[in-house]
Amino acid sequence: MKPILFIAKRELGGYLTGPIGWICLVVFTLIAALFFNVTLVQIANQGMQLGMEEGLTEGVVQGFFGNLTVIGLLLVPAVTMGLVAQDRRERSIELLLTSPVSSLQITLGKFFGALAFVLVMISTTFYVPAMMYWMGEPDSGVMLASYASFTLLMAVFVAIGLFASSTTDNQLVALAMSFSLSLILWIIGWFGSALGEGSLGTILAHISMLTHFDTMSGGVVHLNDAVYFSSMILFFLFATTQRVEALRWR
Amino acid sequence: MIEVQGLTKRYGANTAIDDVSFVVKKGEVVGFLGPNGAGKSTTMRVIAGSLGASSGTAKVDGVDVAEDPRTVQAMLGYSPEVPPLYTNMTVRSYVSYAASLKRVADVAGATNLALSRVGLTDVSHRLIDHLSKGYRQRVGLAQALVHDPKVLVLDEPTSGLDPAQRVEIRELIRTLAAGDRTIILSTHVLGEIEAICNRVIFIGKGRILAQDDIGSLSGTARMVRIEVARPEGAQVALAAVDGVLSVEQAGPVYTLRTSRDVRAEVAAAAVPFGLLALDGKEHLEEVYLRLMSAEAKA
Repeated sequence: MKPILFIAKRELGGYLTGPIGWICLVVFTLIAALFFNVTLVQIANQGMQLGMEEGLTEGVVQGFFGNLTVIGLLLVPAVTMGLVAQDRRERSIELLLTSPVSSLQITLGKFFGALAFVLVMISTTFYVPAMMYWMGEPDSGVMLASYASFTLLMAVFVAIGLFASSTTDNQLVALAMSFSLSLILWIIGWFGSALGEGSLGTILAHISMLTHFDTMSGGVVHLNDAVYFSSMILFFLFATTQRVEALRWR
Repeated sequence: MIEVQGLTKRYGANTAIDDVSFVVKKGEVVGFLGPNGAGKSTTMRVIAGSLGASSGTAKVDGVDVAEDPRTVQAMLGYSPEVPPLYTNMTVRSYVSYAASLKRVADVAGATNLALSRVGLTDVSHRLIDHLSKGYRQRVGLAQALVHDPKVLVLDEPTSGLDPAQRVEIRELIRTLAAGDRTIILSTHVLGEIEAICNRVIFIGKGRILAQDDIGSLSGTARMVRIEVARPEGAQVALAAVDGVLSVEQAGPVYTLRTSRDVRAEVAAAAVPFGLLALDGKEHLEEVYLRLMSAEAKA
């Protein structure tokens, strides 16, 4: 258990002392603020026209996080690209491989380190609920559900990015790969709906992260959505562990 | 302390090491010698548990590396040829990270000790990225010895260093060898092996060519080197000595290959030419070249 913590701590420290971490953090914060403004203005206009306050939380928070997922999709691969790839390129992976730590511990340490940094990124949006509580009485359930589903989604992106990073010693390859994988799994449902109501279409819609994210961030947390996100994370962590173990054979 | 038995590592059709077996006793300092690509690093990585072998076993203190790598790694320090550094960390934070990974109880104390041992205390606050190659090499060593391991595996610890730094690292290794720490190291500098090792293992093309104590390997006296004051005619006289196979001349220095120990006869033959010096010891370098050329012919 302890080695996971040590590795995670080092990864988080690496983000806070290196340029890529700060660039991602600043870009995320700025764009999130911009999106919040845009969403707020849109809702305000609609609200004035319709003259109602019902569903304001859903409108603002859902719209906000809906937009933010796109930024997560773009930025998380940049956050995760170096996790293993850079260690392999600079040979620092050898420190981990010759220390008494298992491949699973290396994988989990790297995952939680990157996830902790992504949580720091997400925490920069806490002014959103703060302002909404200050301005009125938002629906706390929706708020929590939105944060939970967004965090889970980001965790899936981190797991995908970690896996991509473990397959190569080139950070750019890792970046391209994790972005493509995340994007495909995000929108695969579109192909499903294009195929109509057939069984393949239904299957694709179930694989798509978008489908699960939309239902979950609506404020109703279904067990199957949580299971879906968790199994995606577990699958990519398992695949990464296999890749790290394979490094001991080359 | 280290038992390697029938170790083989194949990469597809390539065989990096082929049926390598040797034993290193507790407290011994053993040098690996061989050309680049001979399999020295591969063997060391297998012992350190960062590379799985295709067949054969490596045991450290009776524990099979393949079966229980974590136990072996907890008592073994390994410094690869390229130090495994995180260049965006400071020296101290890196070494203390290594200490915690290696299950050290008193991380701060072990870090301080390792830093002072390799002479990094003064630069401990600096980023590794800003250090020279010699210092980086030392950080790599600090990482390997921070958990006070019983066994040290050092892959070319002095590569890329200037002569003064080499001497420092050599002294450090000698200090580390004190007590009963077991050390395996590889190097291209033959003098280094003669200076620090008790025993040498020659590796070529993935196989062990010879292994012996430094003394018995280099004392075979199959070669005599003499210097004379008046070289005229010496060549013929030396070649006439029974047992001398060939004579090579380089200025006043003659190098003789002999079939047996004929130092006394050669000395007698050289006296009329004004014998200045006679060196009857085969140097490690010559043993090395002889083994490698024999291997190339085979």
